[in-house]
Amino acid sequence: MIDQVLGHYRILSKIGEGGMGVVYRARDEVLQRDVAVKVVSERATGDTSARELLLHEARASSSLSHPNICTVHEVGEIGGELYIVMEFVEGKSLSALIAGDGLPCESVLRYGVQIAGALAHSHGRSIVHRDLKSSNVAITPDGLAKVLDFGLARRLFTGPPAEATRTLGPLDSDARIVGTLPYMAPEVLRGAAGDERSDLWALGVVLYEAAAGQLPFRGRTTFEITSAITHELPPPLPGWIPRGLCAVIQRCLAKEPAQRYQRAGEVQAALEAVQSAAMTGPVLPSDPKGFATTVLRSMRHIEVKNGDVLLMVGTVKGAFLLRSTAARARWEVGGPYFHGQAVYAMAYDGRHGRHRLWASTQSAIWGTILRSSDDFGKTWTNPMEANLKFPADSGASLKNIWQVCLGRPEEPDVLYCGVEPAALFESHDAGESWALNCGLFDHPHRPRWTPGNGGLTLHTIVPDPSNRRRMYVAISAGGVYLTDDAGGSWRAANHGVRVVFMPGKYPEFGQCVHKIAMHPARPERLFLQNHWGVYRSDDGAESWQDIARGLPSDFGFAMAMHPRDPDCVFILPVESDEFRCTPDGRLRVYRTRNAGASWEALTRGLPQKGTYETVLRDGMTADPLDPAGIYFGGRSGILYGSVDEGKTWKKILDGLPAVVCVKHAVVGEPRAAKQTKQVPAGRRR
Amino acid sequence: MSVTFHIPGPLRQFTNGLSHVEIGDIGGIAASPATLSDALEALWAIYPGVRDRMATEQGQIREHINLFVGNENVRYTGGLATALPESAEISIVPAISGGLSFGQIRSVR
Repeated sequence: MIDQVLGHYRILSKIGEGGMGVVYRARDEVLQRDVAVKVVSERATGDTSARELLLHEARASSSLSHPNICTVHEVGEIGGELYIVMEFVEGKSLSALIAGDGLPCESVLRYGVQIAGALAHSHGRSIVHRDLKSSNVAITPDGLAKVLDFGLARRLFTGPPAEATRTLGPLDSDARIVGTLPYMAPEVLRGAAGDERSDLWALGVVLYEAAAGQLPFRGRTTFEITSAITHELPPPLPGWIPRGLCAVIQRCLAKEPAQRYQRAGEVQAALEAVQSAAMTGPVLPSDPKGFATTVLRSMRHIEVKNGDVLLMVGTVKGAFLLRSTAARARWEVGGPYFHGQAVYAMAYDGRHGRHRLWASTQSAIWGTILRSSDDFGKTWTNPMEANLKFPADSGASLKNIWQVCLGRPEEPDVLYCGVEPAALFESHDAGESWALNCGLFDHPHRPRWTPGNGGLTLHTIVPDPSNRRRMYVAISAGGVYLTDDAGGSWRAANHGVRVVFMPGKYPEFGQCVHKIAMHPARPERLFLQNHWGVYRSDDGAESWQDIARGLPSDFGFAMAMHPRDPDCVFILPVESDEFRCTPDGRLRVYRTRNAGASWEALTRGLPQKGTYETVLRDGMTADPLDPAGIYFGGRSGILYGSVDEGKTWKKILDGLPAVVCVKHAVVGEPRAAKQTKQVPAGRRR
Repeated sequence: MSVTFHIPGPLRQFTNGLSHVEIGDIGGIAASPATLSDALEALWAIYPGVRDRMATEQGQIREHINLFVGNENVRYTGGLATALPESAEISIVPAISGGLSFGQIRSVR
């Protein structure tokens, strides 16, 4: 083979030989660089279809570009011989470095973080390694780990479990099994196809091996090894290994895939946490920042494309995701997520190239956690440590999260949460860490705020898009508060808003405000739905005017702003505080198009008899398409939608648990959302 | 001396899937927990995810969680200060009424 030419690669020398074939160092004569060429043996590829699949997968892996992944440059075939051209990595294999006594913990952590990063990158592109092992990781002289052979293993050894159990002889009788079996996950041995989590198992084996100097599951025969993998716990790790690292390895080696980390990024984060703990002082018993993730497998999920419209529906017993094309004619439903937990706040963060869903989950028993999903609900984080916590000296503890609000577009890592008991939390690192806003929490009015029917809650947050230092919040029952110094200090802004339940009807604060809304194009104007009373302010909440004339009741909760018209607002009045249901048994949305001078009832398609519905404060939303889509859901568990700005309505979904939150998103860049002129299917002539 | 925690299903995702966690064989951390509070500290040190599910940030055990030492609800035996007998079995039991009263509270606003 030496000195032969494959394509434009001149073979220089043989580097190694494995089950897959022979690896040569070669010279790329066009680009004038050294590469590694793996010539795949016929034995490994088998029949033509296996060959096709190998080609296909190798091409897929050539799309991976990551500093810790050995790049696949090209896959080719010449004279019936398949060859894979890869980055030439100088260095030693991790298995050679481990050789006997294992590596220092710092090295285990350093390489572990890099390998986990490589897996996170490939898993993000749906490429599973399937043959991760220490001999498949090269360490360069600069200490860089490079994972080799991505995605190539799958079709090469067809049916490894069958072979593994058939081959009962001594280990060295079959070279292909020796290198692979000790890294195989129990589910793979049981015949499952294996997935990302099987790679995380293999990563656990590699980490164990690197830390202890020997494999976690050993045996003289393949049978013994298989049995150890499926039934036995690995021998305890030596005492000098930080407990945090032990915990990470232990978690990777959970027999049940569902008990492992679910994403490589979590392993990476956990290893980094151990790293920083090791650097900053006493070793933590485990990684408190690590994430558990819930993977929801047996559930229906939505498949989302750029330009799709997404509805996030939170209920008292779980959350649902709905998607549609921009035509919004048919909705695909995913969920229910978070069985039995109340989801009062949801949000979509599409800033900075993210596709991140947020949901607050409140369990009656286990408390409230803020969770996120980067894959439209297939997996959700479940942080070890509760992410929103009142400081110990505050005496307060979190009851619920009522609002997740994104910061301004130019502050893509800023997020806010409004919580119960009434307080504002902020994050400046895209939700990684959260801190209580003390300016508001220490406000002298706070001890005199009184809980509304739903508790003492901060439920609405409105950052002023034109002024980075100004923001409004609404508290029930405290009223509207605003800051002009980016949250440092706050003052009440309720002048003109009436309080029916106090002797003085116009106090400085104490209003039970149910919702406020602002149009970004006209930030000095705000609308307010009060506990009795609908108001507008044209001077940045300095004063409020009553605009309820023409409404059947000025009691209500929900309020949605038109995406383009700053004079247009949608509300859904209910009869009274005693009878919090739609007046006269008629389900009517009210719209003003002149900033509250007059209101019109929107009823086409909505039941107008015997319907006593309650739509709560976050139960209505308006999407930004043209014409705007308006959506609402209430206690009866029915979700309604209109794609013509309220003219006609249709039931989108019913039979849900009581709806407490309906939020929308258009996925991807706003300009990617094509506004089709298509008429919704039900209305086509 | 070692004590054993019985871990309810929803918390097992934070204990590597274990339904029983034995405290006492893990070296330096609370090798012999004398009180329930010591045993919980040890459990939470090993499985930090369990802590915030069981307790509020003010250190109170959440309202709808009952703790039993043997068959006794610790509410009647001294709460977190309850002394642990040798080989105590500690059960973490979510209260059934939790879901009910929650539904009632949350259904009115």
